[in-house]
Amino acid sequence: MPAFRLHYFDSRGRAEIARLMFNAAGQEFDDVRYSKEEWPAFKPKTPLGQLPVLEVDGELYAESGAIFNYLARELGFYGNGNIEALQIDIVIGIAKDFYPNLLKVFYTQEEQAKKELIQKLVTEDATQFFTKYEQLLKDNGSSYFVGNGLTLADIVVYDVIEYLLPLRADILEPFPLLQANRKTVESNPRIAAYLKTRK
Amino acid sequence: MPSYTYHYFDLRGKGETCRLCLAAAGVQFKDHRIDHAAWPGDYKAATPFGQLPYLEIDGKKFAQSGAIASYISREHGLYGTSSLEALAIDGVVGLVADYYSLWAKAYFEADSNKKIDLQLKLNNVDLPNLLGILEKILAGNDSGYYFGNQLTLADLSVYDILENSYRDFSNIYSSYPKVVENRKKVAALPRIAEYLSKRKETEI
Repeated sequence: MPAFRLHYFDSRGRAEIARLMFNAAGQEFDDVRYSKEEWPAFKPKTPLGQLPVLEVDGELYAESGAIFNYLARELGFYGNGNIEALQIDIVIGIAKDFYPNLLKVFYTQEEQAKKELIQKLVTEDATQFFTKYEQLLKDNGSSYFVGNGLTLADIVVYDVIEYLLPLRADILEPFPLLQANRKTVESNPRIAAYLKTRK
Repeated sequence: MPSYTYHYFDLRGKGETCRLCLAAAGVQFKDHRIDHAAWPGDYKAATPFGQLPYLEIDGKKFAQSGAIASYISREHGLYGTSSLEALAIDGVVGLVADYYSLWAKAYFEADSNKKIDLQLKLNNVDLPNLLGILEKILAGNDSGYYFGNQLTLADLSVYDILENSYRDFSNIYSSYPKVVENRKKVAALPRIAEYLSKRKETEI
């Protein structure tokens, strides 16, 4: 296994999925975090002037999606075989369609507009989004999205829902399989330990 | 070899990269193109999630254009020769997806003033940014492909995303000669050339 350093801001954001995978795999990595003041000095060293960046034996790689897929491959969270990888990518693709709606809420400053966006997010958007996931869980028949074990798919969905729960606590109520999947992820021993200590 | 049927609208849009991958792979596939007038109806009901595209592999249905393109690329040697190369390829695919979102926002904007602003930003800022990065990657690789010594999903994704601007705003490309060279190289590959020669022209 190469030496891994993950570079990001001091928050969850677009790096948390990578952190969850490292922890779930019990894989050592340098969790490098930049404050607002420290970031400008590192920025020109990054491939695209953005974070996260994954350093693999000293080489820097950008693009969070690419990084997650790479780590999933290396750490054993990409399923068995190409069809399972395809199924994992489908779960991620659905999440990617959903992220812009989520980001819009966070970037909207005006209170009334923000309220309206949140309302739409936690009702229409979330329902559409979760219905697809509930169907996939039903089709797979285990408490995981793909196969019989933890994959990047479970971790990505876990991460997205983390942002929605504070906006609406009962958002998973109509989705029993999603609830069960979330419990499964949370009770994974290494992830449980990480969640207890993470800021 | 499994039997592939690819379902998408009768245009390039979000679905063309997958078609390019299938063509590059040299596999037989049914290219099912759905007329907008006939959509949604029965066609929508037949999809996994009410959206296009989806790929049928021996009758089993799989959605999400990105997932499909990755799958075909893995199956047919279009993903480079190592996990790190795949990481680099995915990096470019991610950039292309980011640019697609910006393009789509501009293209589908209903308010004509906003649309003009978005289109200007696209051509003056977003596209040159993307082309600059791509030119830099190509400068670091002798083969003329983005990564390694042969065609990968990176070359095909880029080929596809630049189609509209290359056609409509070719003057922008004069500052990015390696990008243009790569584009010509990809288009001249036998399977791609054959596919492109038969492909109908669509606005998007």
